[in-house]
Amino acid sequence: MSGLTQDDIALAGEYVLGTLPGPERLTMTRRIATDPDFAREVARWESRFDPLAAEVTPVAPPARLWSGVEARVFGRPQQAGFGLWRWLAGASGLSVAFLAALLTLGQPLLPARGPMLVSDMVSTDGTVRLAALYDSETGEMRVSVGGKAPAPGRDFELWVIAGEATPISLGVMPRQGQAAMPIPEAIRPMLAEAVLAITEEPLGGSPEGVATGPLVAKAALRRI
Amino acid sequence: MADAGQDLGELLARVALADRAAFERLYSVQGAKLFGLCLRLLKDRREAEDALQDVFVKIWMNADRYVPAVASPAAWLNAVTRNLCLDRLRRRKGGEVGVEALEDLPAEAPGPETAAIRASEGRQIETCLDRLDNARAEAVRRAYVEGESYLELAERFAVPLNTMRSWLRRSLISLRECLEG
Repeated sequence: MSGLTQDDIALAGEYVLGTLPGPERLTMTRRIATDPDFAREVARWESRFDPLAAEVTPVAPPARLWSGVEARVFGRPQQAGFGLWRWLAGASGLSVAFLAALLTLGQPLLPARGPMLVSDMVSTDGTVRLAALYDSETGEMRVSVGGKAPAPGRDFELWVIAGEATPISLGVMPRQGQAAMPIPEAIRPMLAEAVLAITEEPLGGSPEGVATGPLVAKAALRRI
Repeated sequence: MADAGQDLGELLARVALADRAAFERLYSVQGAKLFGLCLRLLKDRREAEDALQDVFVKIWMNADRYVPAVASPAAWLNAVTRNLCLDRLRRRKGGEVGVEALEDLPAEAPGPETAAIRASEGRQIETCLDRLDNARAEAVRRAYVEGESYLELAERFAVPLNTMRSWLRRSLISLRECLEG
């Protein structure tokens, strides 16, 4: 049973009807992402009201609309590769150039392969930008580092944090540019729900296998 | 209708696996329905076209999040569409509608086919709406189908904004009791 109050239930209904003003609607959108009980109630309201949509008359969309959808989802076929980057960029919020840098590394990717996870991290002071793209098909994480290099005698180390668990090292990042980091089998299943973090560690990475240096950036892996 | 529902579910499952042909088929099967929803909510053809493109981009990306146990495929597609349109509506400042845009809109009367659908699938919600006071049921419908905000509804029914909101909230609770009871 859910712990929702009568008030929550009405709120979920208001969200689905769409009557909430912009800011309140936005708050509810965030709640849906974090409160499974509330999200379920929203889904129920969507199903309860759905029959009312039957009274809306279908209207054929203009023919050019589909090519617009195709261009956004698949990119232009004659520009092989670029379309995929744009698709990934759209899906992940990363810049095309940044993803292009990631993807030129190694063999070309196809969107139809296994699920891919992406993370885009910017350091709190904005001077370092890191992107990671994990391909579940190959079990490989491609990482790309831009901006300020680590201090002399230091390295950036990549960590994966699953829930409350202690961060597990994925290895030392390149000082600049890109690298492909193979992910151990045991870690792969954790990635879907994990957060990636970068710390600054002694050259060659933390000797203890435990993060010791200052946190540079942190971001969740998102499925694309 | 059951077959169509099954087909949609299968199409969605294939779209979740990045099947491009299934995606195209889904567009040809549901595009008009969803475009109709966009037009009805946004009341602006240009914006409805943009919204429909957003809808299909989102479907392509989020099809793997569809859970059959929670909603029918059609209900999920409708919800994705309504949510994107409502986000657009609520971002608008005044919510004004040009007269020119309104002229293009389809007639509101349900055709024989949609009336039949309402008679079967929609019976429960219709029955429960009928138990509400007419004006209150109408407010719920206008919010859902036309995307009217509290402000617009309050003006339409000539009641203060807060009154409108408590009307609607109470209607929601009654509807839920009626539907689940």
